[in-house]
Amino acid sequence: MHSEVMVGNKACAIAVKLARVQVASAYPVTPQTTITEYLSEMVANGEMKCEFVNAEGELSTQVIVQAASRVGARTFVCTSGPGQLYMHHPMHDTASRRAPVVMATVHRGNKGMQPDHTDLMSQMWTGWMQWYVENNQEILDTCLMAYRVAEDKRVRLPVAFGYDGYVLSYTAEPVEIPEQEEVDAFLPPYVPMPNILPDKADPASFGRGFGEELDPQVPWRMQHEALVKAKDVIKEVNEEYGKRFGRKYGDGLVEEYRCDGAEAVLVAMGSIAGTARASVDRLWDAGHRVGLVKLKCFIPFPNEDFQRIGGQVGAMGMVDRNVLMGMGGAGFTYLRNALYDFEDRPKILQFHAGLGGKEVKVTELVKAGEKTLRAAKGEKVASMVEWV
Amino acid sequence: MSERITRMQVPTEEMTITPGSACQGCGAALVSRLVFKALGPNVIRHSIPCCPDSVTKTPGVNSVFEAGGSALTGTARALKALGREDVIPVGFFGDGGVYDISFQSLSAAAERNENILVVCKDNEAYMNTGNQRSGASPKYSETSTTPVGPESRGKATPKKNIPAIFAAHGVPYIAIASIAFPEDLIAKINYAKKVKGFRLIIVQSPCPVGWRFDPSKTIETARTGVQTGVWPLYEIIDGSKFRLTYKPRELKPVSEYLKGQGRFRHMTDAEVAEIQERTTRNWEKFLKADEMGQVIL
Amino acid sequence: MTASRILAEAGYFDGKYSQAIPMYGTERRGAPLTAYLRFDDIRVRERELVHEPDIVIVLDPLISRRQSVADGLKKGGLLILNYPQPPQEVTVAGDFNVTTVDATKIALETLGRPITNTSILGAFSKVVGMPKLESIEKAILHSFPGKIGEMNVAAVRKSYEMVPPPIPAKKLDKPVKEEVSLQVGGFGVLKSVAEWRVFTPHINLDKCTGCRSCWLFCPETAINLVNNKPEIEYDKCKGCGICVNECPVKAIEFKRESA
Repeated sequence: MHSEVMVGNKACAIAVKLARVQVASAYPVTPQTTITEYLSEMVANGEMKCEFVNAEGELSTQVIVQAASRVGARTFVCTSGPGQLYMHHPMHDTASRRAPVVMATVHRGNKGMQPDHTDLMSQMWTGWMQWYVENNQEILDTCLMAYRVAEDKRVRLPVAFGYDGYVLSYTAEPVEIPEQEEVDAFLPPYVPMPNILPDKADPASFGRGFGEELDPQVPWRMQHEALVKAKDVIKEVNEEYGKRFGRKYGDGLVEEYRCDGAEAVLVAMGSIAGTARASVDRLWDAGHRVGLVKLKCFIPFPNEDFQRIGGQVGAMGMVDRNVLMGMGGAGFTYLRNALYDFEDRPKILQFHAGLGGKEVKVTELVKAGEKTLRAAKGEKVASMVEWV
Repeated sequence: MSERITRMQVPTEEMTITPGSACQGCGAALVSRLVFKALGPNVIRHSIPCCPDSVTKTPGVNSVFEAGGSALTGTARALKALGREDVIPVGFFGDGGVYDISFQSLSAAAERNENILVVCKDNEAYMNTGNQRSGASPKYSETSTTPVGPESRGKATPKKNIPAIFAAHGVPYIAIASIAFPEDLIAKINYAKKVKGFRLIIVQSPCPVGWRFDPSKTIETARTGVQTGVWPLYEIIDGSKFRLTYKPRELKPVSEYLKGQGRFRHMTDAEVAEIQERTTRNWEKFLKADEMGQVIL
Repeated sequence: MTASRILAEAGYFDGKYSQAIPMYGTERRGAPLTAYLRFDDIRVRERELVHEPDIVIVLDPLISRRQSVADGLKKGGLLILNYPQPPQEVTVAGDFNVTTVDATKIALETLGRPITNTSILGAFSKVVGMPKLESIEKAILHSFPGKIGEMNVAAVRKSYEMVPPPIPAKKLDKPVKEEVSLQVGGFGVLKSVAEWRVFTPHINLDKCTGCRSCWLFCPETAINLVNNKPEIEYDKCKGCGICVNECPVKAIEFKRESA
C-alpha cells in the first residue's frame, strides 16, 4: 500500500484497474473526461488488461457494458450530467436484467457544467443503487466495494456512485492505494448468472412458452424488494473492507459524526458532508450540540438508521444538493417518509445548497446547524425550507 | 467471395423452435430459419424490438431499440476478454432497427470494425407496430403513416441505400440476399462466418400483411423482386470489391413486382415508369461494377 | 376487433352508449384474438375486461368447437357461433342458448376471403334484436366506404337472413379442461397453430419428385423430410399455402379445413 496525491478522477481510474475490470466504455463529457483518458492510457501502456470501447455516445456506452456484463465480463461505465440523462433508457434495462454494472457519475447538474446531484438523482426510477461520495479516498474505496455488493448472489443489481465534479474530480488530495493482491483477495472473479455462452447456457431458457399468465406486478415487486434487502449486504461489505483495508464508512449506509449527545443533526451527501464536518466542529466549539449524519447510500434509503437517530434528536436539517422541481428535495422527502410513523419524530428542515455548483461555505452550514438546533429546542423558525 | 452450394447441401438440422407466433406466410420467419440453420449453435443472438418471427435454439441478449450495435459490441468485447472469440455475436434485426433508430449504433460499430455479424430482415416498414413507414420503405409504398390520398402518393422518398453507406465504412463484408434464393443466402452466411470484423447481410422479408398479398405468395414475391432487379443479389468485400451473385440475362418489368402488392396498387403508369427507369439505371451500374469487380457508389 | 368496433358504433347510432376493448397484446395474421364490448343506456365507466358476458360471439369455426368459449357466460345467456353445422349439432354445452351461422361460407361467397368479422354481425342483430340492421350497415360504410363497404353490407344481410332462432345448448355433464390455451401473445413458442388454418395442405406423394421446395420454403418448419419425401406436421402448419404455391409439379392440394 502506498499513498499518492491525486485528483478524484485518477483515484477512480486506479480503482477500475485494481478491480480488474474487463470491459469498460465511456464517452467524454465534462467533468468526467479525464477518467476516459486515464483508462485509455493504462490500456495502451499495458498497465491494465481491459477492452475499453470509445463509444459514439453515452447511451451506447451503457448498452455496451450491459451486454458485456451479461456475457460474463466485469464492467465499468462513467459519465456526467447530460450524458447521464442520455443513457436513462438503457439504465432501466441494466437494472431489470440484473446486470451488476458499476457506474461512476461525476456530478454535473442538469442545468450547467458545475456540480450538483440532479444528474444522478434524476435516475431514481431506474432501479439502480445510488451512493454519494465525500472525498477522493472514498472514491477509490467505494468503487471497489461497489463490485462486491453488485456481484453478490443475493443482490445482482447495478451500482452508481456519484462524486462532485471539479470539487473532487479535479481537486488533488492524498489517496492510499491498496496493493493488487489485497484487492484480489477482497474481490473474487466475476461469475455471470445465468451463463449465456452457447455451450454453457440452459437450453430450457431458449423458447419462452406460454403458461399461466404472470402477475405483471411481480417483476416490479421483486426488484424493489431485492434493492431493500441489499442494505444488509452493503453493511457486510463495508465491515469487511474496514477489516482488510483499515477504512470503513459508518455502517456503509450512513456515517455519524459527533452525534453522541447531539440535540440536532445536519444530514448531508457527497462533498458537502466534508464541509459540514468542519461546520459541526465549530458548532460544538461554540457550545451547540449539533452532529452530522453523512448519507452515503441514498438508494436503498436507510430508513432504519434514520429511525434510530431520529429518536435521539429534536430536529434534523437535510441539506439537499438537488431539487425535484414542484415537489422538494429528495433527501428531505424520503427522510420525512422514513420517520412519519414514529410518535416522537424529530422536526425536519429543508436546506437547498450547492445547486448549479454554488459554493457551499462552512459558515453557511454553521448557520443551518444553528437554525436546526433552534427548531430542536421548540423555537419557531421563519420557514422550514431555505435556499442557502 | 461466397461459394455456391446446392439444394442437397442445405443443412437439414433446424435451429428454430416451432410453431412460433409469426403471421401466416411470414417472410421473416423463413429468413430466421435459413440464417440460423447456416449459422449453427455457436452464436449469441441479439434482438431489439421487431416482429416475433421465430424462437431459436440459441442464447439471447435483448437490448433497447436504439442500441443494437452497442449490445453486439459489448458481447464481442466480453467474448474477447474471456478468450471465447469462437462464439459469434449475431444481431437479427428488422429494417426499423438497422435503417433508422439503431443506425447510429451500427455505424459506430462498423467504424470501430467490431467483430459482429448483423443480419437485417427487411420488410420495408415498422411492421410489428402496424406497418408505419421506415427508411427502408420504397418510394410510393403505402404504409399507415404514408397513406395515399389527394395530398400524398405514399412514401415520397426512395429507400435509404444502406449497402452503399456501409460500403463507405469499408467493412469486411456486406451481402444482399433473398429467401427465394436460399442456397445463395446460405452461401453468404457461410462466408460471413469465416470472416472477422463487421459483417452485414440484408435479406428481403416480404410481409403478406403489410405489403398486401396472399400469404401463399411470399416466396413468389421475393423471387419477382430479384428477377425484376428491384432486389438485386450481390456482395461487397472490404467496401470496394463487388460481385453480383445472380445475373438473369434479362430483367422482368418492375410492373410485375409492383402489381402483385396492395401497397403499390395506386401507382400511375408514369410512377411505375419512374421506378422502372431508376431500377434499370441501377442494374446497369451494377453490371458495370460486377464486370470491373469494383464498387461504384 | 373490427367486429367489436363496428358493433359499438352501430349501438351508438341506435342511441346506446358503447365501449369496445381489444385484448391487448400483439396481433398476428391468423391468430386467435379476443375483444370485449359493453352497451348501456348511460356512459360506460368501468375498464376491466368482461369476465361474465351476456353474449359470446365466436368468429372462427374451429374455435367454435371449444368448450372454453363459454367460460363465464351468464346463465340464460347467448352463444353465437360461426359454425357450418346447425345449432342442434353444437358441442359447446351449458345453461345458455346457442345459434350458428356459416359466416365463413358467406364471407367467401360475398367477399372472396374468409374474413368473418362483419359477416356475423347480421346474425347478431337478428337474434339479439339490437343494433338495428340499418345501424350496422351505417357503421360498416363509415369504416369501409365504397365497393368494399357494399360487399360487407351484402354479407351482413345474408347472415341476418340465414341465422336460425337460438335453442338451448346441450347440458354440461362434466367440466372440460383444455390443453391448449386460446390466447396468443408476444414472442414465444406455441403448442399448436392448427386452429389458425382456414385451408389445409395435403401432399400427394405419388406426384412428389423429392425436390425439397416445400420443405425448404416452409416458414414454420412444418414439413419434415422422411426418407427424402415431405411429411406435414399439422400442429405446426398455419395454412399459409406457400408450399402449395411453390411445388413445381403441383403435388399439394389446398382444401377447406373441415369443422
